Amino acid sequence: MLYFLEDTINGILMGSIYGLTALGLTIIFGVLKVINFAHGSLLMVGMYLAYWAVALTGVHPYLSLVVVIPVMFIFGYYLQDIVIKPIFKAERNVREPITVIIVTTGVWYILDNLTLLVFGPQYRVINDNPLRGKMVEIGEMLISVPKIWGCVTAVITAVLIYYFFQYTRLGRAIRATSLDRDAASLAGINQYKIYNIAFGIGTAVSGIAAVTLVPFYNTYPTVGVLFDIKGFIIVVLGGLGSITGAILGGMIVGIIESVGPQFMTATWTEAIVYGLFLLVLFIKPSGLFGVKYDW
Amino acid sequence: MTGKKSSGFSVEGVDYEKTGGITGPESDNSKANRKKIEKLLLAATLAATLVLPIVVVSPTYLHIIILILFYAYLTSCWNMVGGFAGVLPLGHSVFIGCGAYTSTILSLQYGLSPWLGMIIGGILATFIGVLIALPTFKLRGAYFALATIAFAEGIRVMIENIDYLGPFNLNGPRGLQIPPLNTGFTSFMFETKEPYYYIILVMLIAILTLTWFISRSKLGFYLSAGGEEPEAAMALGVNVTRAKLTAMAMSSFFTALAGTFYAQFSLFIHPKSIISLDLSFEIAFIALIGGRGSIAGPVLGALLLRPVSDFSRIYFGDVLPGLHLVIFGGVLILVMIYQPRGIQEPLTRVYKRVVDRLAGISVDEPGKKVGKSKEATA
Repeated sequence: MLYFLEDTINGILMGSIYGLTALGLTIIFGVLKVINFAHGSLLMVGMYLAYWAVALTGVHPYLSLVVVIPVMFIFGYYLQDIVIKPIFKAERNVREPITVIIVTTGVWYILDNLTLLVFGPQYRVINDNPLRGKMVEIGEMLISVPKIWGCVTAVITAVLIYYFFQYTRLGRAIRATSLDRDAASLAGINQYKIYNIAFGIGTAVSGIAAVTLVPFYNTYPTVGVLFDIKGFIIVVLGGLGSITGAILGGMIVGIIESVGPQFMTATWTEAIVYGLFLLVLFIKPSGLFGVKYDW
Repeated sequence: MTGKKSSGFSVEGVDYEKTGGITGPESDNSKANRKKIEKLLLAATLAATLVLPIVVVSPTYLHIIILILFYAYLTSCWNMVGGFAGVLPLGHSVFIGCGAYTSTILSLQYGLSPWLGMIIGGILATFIGVLIALPTFKLRGAYFALATIAFAEGIRVMIENIDYLGPFNLNGPRGLQIPPLNTGFTSFMFETKEPYYYIILVMLIAILTLTWFISRSKLGFYLSAGGEEPEAAMALGVNVTRAKLTAMAMSSFFTALAGTFYAQFSLFIHPKSIISLDLSFEIAFIALIGGRGSIAGPVLGALLLRPVSDFSRIYFGDVLPGLHLVIFGGVLILVMIYQPRGIQEPLTRVYKRVVDRLAGISVDEPGKKVGKSKEATA
């Protein structure tokens, strides 16, 4: 029973980090109505940024946020502006811009393999950081400290993003664009600029997720693929475009992954997650917690 | 065909067939002349492909050429669903795996000829394809793509975790090895690469002919109508779902045949490589770059991309790993931005012009470029 509780807690902690990695995906989908296949690669870029920031200066991993957030925002902003915007302009009347999906897949391939070219395939770990391998004992349970940090960061980020969208002028403009891009344009909102900003925010949030991962996770060129697929599953579970849904969906996946091995071979949990994903997709495509316009 | 320009994914072949060419009114004489020249060019290309293994003696190059044909075949299969039906399936490697595993298990454990296993694998894949398609075709756009990914990945995870499925030995994550014991036609195993070349060539020609027939058939029109404006098509009484299911069934059947070919060609199958996301994506990439929904697109895409990937792996594999995928991604983005209908469009235009000139002035010897785009009008 104690093991069960320990696994559940660790699952929730890890799951909230998964949720944080999916948060950027859900923000970008919410506004642009596009599934960004390059999402995992953006996370990977963020991890390399955080890794080098920490490895070169030797500061506390979370201090790298100061560098990672602005750099990732600018990166996302211009990625959307230069690569994805032309497609949007060409396909203004298309309801489901499949071409954008394909272009983001191209971005994924380029980013992953450029990283492989530049940094090589080796796994990178920051060995002497204050969080690595730290455990805290609560009762008789061992809980990983960097995951607690990650969970707290995830919750804070989600709350901040929520309030940003709900109560700031820019946030309202973004929500307006997400609800009806044409009406928003008529009201004087530059929709392409909003897209750039939303993409930048989504990328910056991926950067935050990357910082939470770096203290206990390996950094390597294809690390994004893992979180890419997981991110899709999580956002569909939670409801595409929903911020709370992303975090809760992440927790569900996290719990399945950490509690599942009590009952079956660890690799089978992956199949269960895919099965659950398909089930939700077929029965309730709006997701478990997705209200149509959640924000 | 409303919204054709904006969607960028219409069935190119169908369009040309209907209008009978892109140039304006012309005399019957020159039309007949052009038909004759097109037939001649087609025959010349066919003859060239037939004698190719005699010219290309290096096994390495022949291997690369076989892989080009293999990918052109796979992409043509994908094109039936991904091109004509206007959806984006990203899990086709499941059918390749199905064909490869079925024929290999049957031949290893029961001594059945892979040729028979090929058909059985195809039928099995058809069932799986329809089973996957029934719920997923209700989903739209990105959701459909995600669902096919989830199916493919889920099945891969299952195969990796199962050692014995009933009496069948799947050997889990270690994969299956085919011992090269008795070579010959019935055992689908050859010492040299030439027989493989001819087998995949025949398969490719067959699938191209079939695609050509589909593109001119009622089914083809149903598919493109349903892909572009599903509501409008349904309002006109087109059973879009049934057309899509038929396309999916055919696509999965023929994809599975390629799986058996791959298993016999490489003599080793491994769930991580054969049911991989990378393979599914590569097929989709080739189709999209070549020209989705066109007959020539898959061939042109494979001709362009496979050599890039193989040669960069051979020459830069050690120093610049992953270079070919950077090129893939770059080409993909550029094609999507500047030629959303793929490279077949400008090439078809060039081909038409060349044929027109030949028909108008004199019968000249066909250039290399002409041979490349021959299926555009086939």
